[in-house]
Amino acid sequence: MNADFLALAQMAVGGGLMGMAYALMAYGFQLTYTAGKSVNFGQGELVMLGAFIGLSLTGIGLPYWAAVPGAMVAGAALGWFVERAAVRLALQQRNEGWILLTIIVGLFGVSAAENIWGRDDKPFPVPWPEGALEFFGISVTWPELVIAAGALGMMALVELAKRYTMLGIAVQAVSADPDSAELCGIRSKSAISLSWAVSGAAAAFAGTIIAPVTTVGPTMAAALTLKAFSVAVVAGLDSGFGLVLAGIALGSAENLSGFLLGSGWREAPGLILLILALALRPQGIFGKKIIRKV
Amino acid sequence: MLFHVNLALREKTAERIMRLTLFCCLAALPMLWHGEYALGLLTLMAVYAVLLMGLDATVGYLGQINLAQAALFGLGAYGTALAIQAEVPLPLALLVGIAAALIPGAALALPALRLEGPQFALSTLSFATLSVIFLNESESVTNGALGLSIVRPSLFNIVLDSTRFYWLCLTVLFVTWWASQLLLRSRFGLAIEALRDSPTATDALGIGTLRHKALAFAWGSALAGLAGALHAINFGYLQPAAFGYDLMVILLLGVVFGGRRNQWGAFAGAAVVTMLPNLLSNRTLFSSLVTLGCLLAIAPPIRTLLSRKIPSFSQTAPVAAMAAALALALFASNVEEWRKGIFALFLFAAVVGLPDGITGAATTILRKLIRFAPDPLPVATGGIQTAKSSAGLALHASKIRKSFGGVKAVDNVTLEIMKGETHGLIGPNGSGKTTLVNLISGLYKPDSGSVEIFGVRPKPGSLMSAFSAGSARTFQNLQPFSGLTALGSIMVCQRDGGISEAMGWLHAVGLQEKARLRCSEMSYGDLRFLEIARALATRPYVLMLDEPAAGMSKPDIIRLVDLVTSIKRAGITILLIEHHQDVIAVLCDRVSVMDGGQLIALGTPDQVRRNPKVIEAYLGSDETATQAKSEMRAQPC
Repeated sequence: MNADFLALAQMAVGGGLMGMAYALMAYGFQLTYTAGKSVNFGQGELVMLGAFIGLSLTGIGLPYWAAVPGAMVAGAALGWFVERAAVRLALQQRNEGWILLTIIVGLFGVSAAENIWGRDDKPFPVPWPEGALEFFGISVTWPELVIAAGALGMMALVELAKRYTMLGIAVQAVSADPDSAELCGIRSKSAISLSWAVSGAAAAFAGTIIAPVTTVGPTMAAALTLKAFSVAVVAGLDSGFGLVLAGIALGSAENLSGFLLGSGWREAPGLILLILALALRPQGIFGKKIIRKV
Repeated sequence: MLFHVNLALREKTAERIMRLTLFCCLAALPMLWHGEYALGLLTLMAVYAVLLMGLDATVGYLGQINLAQAALFGLGAYGTALAIQAEVPLPLALLVGIAAALIPGAALALPALRLEGPQFALSTLSFATLSVIFLNESESVTNGALGLSIVRPSLFNIVLDSTRFYWLCLTVLFVTWWASQLLLRSRFGLAIEALRDSPTATDALGIGTLRHKALAFAWGSALAGLAGALHAINFGYLQPAAFGYDLMVILLLGVVFGGRRNQWGAFAGAAVVTMLPNLLSNRTLFSSLVTLGCLLAIAPPIRTLLSRKIPSFSQTAPVAAMAAALALALFASNVEEWRKGIFALFLFAAVVGLPDGITGAATTILRKLIRFAPDPLPVATGGIQTAKSSAGLALHASKIRKSFGGVKAVDNVTLEIMKGETHGLIGPNGSGKTTLVNLISGLYKPDSGSVEIFGVRPKPGSLMSAFSAGSARTFQNLQPFSGLTALGSIMVCQRDGGISEAMGWLHAVGLQEKARLRCSEMSYGDLRFLEIARALATRPYVLMLDEPAAGMSKPDIIRLVDLVTSIKRAGITILLIEHHQDVIAVLCDRVSVMDGGQLIALGTPDQVRRNPKVIEAYLGSDETATQAKSEMRAQPC
């Protein structure tokens, strides 16, 4: 194998592993979209806040394995708060105000992070071994492996809970038809709140597994939201595991374009992919077409 | 209110006088008092006002969250700056700025406008991010992150000092304001408001959803370019980062806080976003203003509490947001560090608590204090005229099929309706009646088969094309233009004729008294009649009525039968879906019966009523048929 090809393959694999984290964030979009037809435009901010909270928890002496669940609990609380403060009313009034309101809450999150943790990027210490593993000449670091395993594990866990617990089935019933679910004695609003809390926890978890690779800072939020959106829209906002494929593809593409075109263009393929997906197949590659009823 | 003033003026005239006074004052300001800094702020305000009027076209009138306006503003600014560097004369450079925003805006509009809600917001957001990347990375042209400097050019050999440039911006704002109002209060503006409420209905009535969306977006982009051009000349130095997400949030704050769907709102919003950074630097002024905001926010929930009710979320949430802002104003060590957070809190309070912005609130108060002279109702002319019908086929649906997944909703149905005929379409629930109408009217594309309306074969699956062939329809689930008045709903559907013809159509369905009522305030029965009037106003050859009597009261049904009879006399071919058998019996020349997606019977109402297949479809198996037959006769409706 020649060296150029190996370098490209290295880039693609590194990006693909990172892409799993985008898939996890996008999965958070799916959770809230299927439950209540709304998504958090400040999801990236939740990821950032989750990472910062995790960092602070390790800072006060908690071990990594305790800081991660702590950050997830905080993320769940934040997700619940966003739904309660920004989404519920606008959805009741059937208008698009929730888009604006979730952006606003996210903006406040950035401002709070800037003032609490400072504007600079910080490293995130982890207990994983230092070195890298090598497969066929391509090296993979431990934090990168943790991203892939963590993201897949988290998605699988939530998906299993959705399918095999009463609570999960109740949430699915609300996704299908909130009014009918209410008539069957399911509190639709609570189910939607729950899905937002789980989505928030997933975002915070994504933060704690991304941060060891990327460092953590207030500016990480905006770019992450868009990437997660690209993945969610390309895969379809209401379909299952197409996300993982889309995430890997996007992660590789952005690493390769950053390598080939210059670091400033890193974000471009995701954005172009997003616009194209929206233009050509807004329901996503794996999504179903919506039939208009009158 | 304890008192009010009666004015002989109409509201429109009063607004015009206020606007002229405002501009006279603004123009006179630099002559009364000199100050470079204040003049700079006023110029910036004028530029922002132009920009926000553009943003209002999409965020307000179209009702879509557009996150590309800041980027389009930047593209316009760079376009003009580069033109000026190339020594293009100023008027031409302004045009270059407009084009630099309009062309990419149009390219974005093509994919974005087919989308709604979050998808629309997303596509504009990715466009905006891409634009900033592009400006940053095309270093050979834009000088990248280092920024681009230009020297302010002169206009036809007149040196543009700051006062003159301010006047230029003010003139542009005046023209923009006037043009926006002209555009958005015309039939075009009505159409935009209508499509926000029901894009399906605007297509089915031939108004053209996509066309109007694109025009509104183009208008917004052009204004962004124009504002960007002025901004470039005003500052003389541009950096890509200035046109990013932060500016976008500030612009949204301006439009929402000022008041949507209102040029005054855009102006007020521009004033607020220009002054806000200065307010943040003066701590005493800022804290006192936030305290005032807190008191204003706390008044409505306290009033609710006093009347022994629990305040709603939209009353309490702004109080919480303003309280947080007050806490920041009092305790934060550096308020300017919290700039974004404070913007976010204000914006949150405004979106939740003041959906119509400060101008909306002010207008409500003014309308209570001052009684303006009402706009007179025009005299009704036109309406349904009797005409002779010609012979031949009006509508021919041939062997059409449509299935959803495994369900054959419409299975090989052939329907022939003669010109001037009133054709009934009945069948049990779920038999495919509405799907058939949806296929004929072009909402769905048939899997196979064809439709012909008055000899024309419309493009399958295109509402607009079926409309052009001469069809118009109403909807089983009402599709009202909630934001428009009854009169406006008719005006927007008319191809020709003015306000008195529109009154004529309202008169025809008995709604002339309710002409100025908003659709959101009208009763269910009235909305059903309004839908028919809307369809009639498009002067169709074939009118498809989808369960017009559903949910109507008895007197309304009698009114409806009279109305459809007069439409029939006007020679219009009618396809009538109905469950009320007496309505069908009185009105229809022939009736088709559907069951399970198939046509099972065709004949006069009396023939169909005796058809055993029909009785079976409605009432079940043979054993009960004889019994059922007598029951059906006995049934009043």
